Amino acid sequence: MFTPELLLNAVVAGLMLGSFYAAVALGLSITFGQLDIVNIAHPTFVILGSFVAYIINENFGLDPVLIGVLFMPIFYFIGTTLYRVYYASFERTGQESLSGLAFFFGLMFIIEVVLILTFGVDYRLVEADYIGQTLHLGPLDFPYRMLVPAIAACIVTGAVVLYMNKTFMGKAILAVSQDRLALQLMGANPLQVKRIALGIAIATAALAGALLIIIQPVEPSVGRMYIGRIFAIVVLGGMGSISGTFLAAILIGVVESIISTFYGPSWAPAVGFGILLLTLAIRPQGIFGRA
Amino acid sequence: MASSITVTNVEAGYGSVRVLHGVTMSVNSGETVVLLGSNGNGKSTLIKCITGLATPGEGDIVLDVDGEKTSLIGKTPEEIVDLGIAMVPEGRRLFPSLTVEENLHLGAYRMAAREKLAENLDFVYETFPRLMERRNQLAGSMSGGEQQMVAVARAMMSDPTILLVDEPSVGLAPILVSRMIATIKELKEKKNLTVLMAEQNFNQAIKIADRGYIIVHGEIEFEGKTADDLANNDMIKQYYLGT
Ligand SMILES: Nc1ncnc2c1ncn2[C@@H]1O[C@H](COP(=O)(O)OP(=O)(O)O)[C@@H](O)[C@H]1O
Ligand SMILES: [Mg+2]
Repeated sequence: MFTPELLLNAVVAGLMLGSFYAAVALGLSITFGQLDIVNIAHPTFVILGSFVAYIINENFGLDPVLIGVLFMPIFYFIGTTLYRVYYASFERTGQESLSGLAFFFGLMFIIEVVLILTFGVDYRLVEADYIGQTLHLGPLDFPYRMLVPAIAACIVTGAVVLYMNKTFMGKAILAVSQDRLALQLMGANPLQVKRIALGIAIATAALAGALLIIIQPVEPSVGRMYIGRIFAIVVLGGMGSISGTFLAAILIGVVESIISTFYGPSWAPAVGFGILLLTLAIRPQGIFGRA
Repeated sequence: MASSITVTNVEAGYGSVRVLHGVTMSVNSGETVVLLGSNGNGKSTLIKCITGLATPGEGDIVLDVDGEKTSLIGKTPEEIVDLGIAMVPEGRRLFPSLTVEENLHLGAYRMAAREKLAENLDFVYETFPRLMERRNQLAGSMSGGEQQMVAVARAMMSDPTILLVDEPSVGLAPILVSRMIATIKELKEKKNLTVLMAEQNFNQAIKIADRGYIIVHGEIEFEGKTADDLANNDMIKQYYLGT
């Protein structure tokens, strides 16, 4: 049963959902797209971020978004350390393709198991005054549990885009996988560049996790539902173009939202892959990729 | 600023393969020195040793800036760039999916160059107006001649005192080679550079050389104290002029 109002609200909900997807995909866009590191554990770091938000929120009543922001430096440090380990164990010896993948798989399981052993498999939530309330603007509904994460996601994405395009380190991150040796000739240290990049990527997961647990209850294995979707977004976005990733996330969010409004939510998960397969057939560099 | 490089008895190679056998040469302040030799004789390896991309097993490479001597052995390429040595690598090695301007910005990565970014950007756009027109184009989508311009411009963005250029003529049409060689001379004069250029193309290289060396199988076979000295050498005649 189609009404223009329903469609409009589906689009608005999709825009908010898509912005959130962008926050989750952002870190993967950096690792997978810029560093050629297949960090399959990225969604698990997002879940780790959700649990951090849960614990602090539960014990101290802090706002989940604020917790996400506060924990970004700690996650940044985890990311830089992770790169040191990854480099020393795999990249230095050129074993990154297969062993590296196994490493991130292992990391994913370890984090997940630790979370399960600590918290069990129950769904956890956070509390904040705005969760459960809705902003009404004419015919449009903006539930705060979607709106707040969407705004935070747009801000963090914008900040990363600015960083990548306006700072020397940001440009070095964009360049490092294209020609590492040439980057050294510019006076940059590729290992430092990659370390900082992975730090930033994992830092975004802290915030994305906090946003996720505002949107929905979280249990340790929820991250897996996002793996396919966010890889699809990163590839659609043109592998490492941050603004491309954002647009691809919005596209998937909106299409998913429309499909689930008019055809039922069970179709929604197929949307990402549907669009991905179509795109790969027609435009292998992704919809929003640079040539 | 007076900058020179002295290479003494350098032995270097890849793994167990020795490529350079006791190379001794120098580039004095304000000179354009050419390193001549056909393919596979060790020109690039020598330049890589100077920039820290290859590590000599023996010998020394010393940078002299206004009398202050620094050994480059054991320094990372980043540290060497920071000392004011820029390299235009063989095959250009641009960042293909970044724009021309992004490539140029990255050239100014080292701290001393960042402050002068705007000034140096104006300078390279003045030198290569073509790059100004193409500044938002992806570097990988440009023609070979344009890419070589980006590579040279990018090196100039690091505000160097010493410029190392590895075979700028490769893959370019003869007219473009002439222009590129003339531009290197122009850059050298405007910025008071010290230049070391590796080339196979003797006839082009000799046009801007103050003096030079001929390298064969990783050894300096001949040192020409002047450009004429090089041009009249029997070996050159044999290699390049077919007499
Ligand atoms: N990365 C490398 N690994 C192994 N051998 C190399 C490498 N680069 C060059 N060589 C070898 O070193 C020798 C000198 O090469 P190079 O310095 O590139 O010479 P040129 O620049 O004069 O053409 C050649 O025999 C070449 O095969
Ligand atoms: Mg060479």
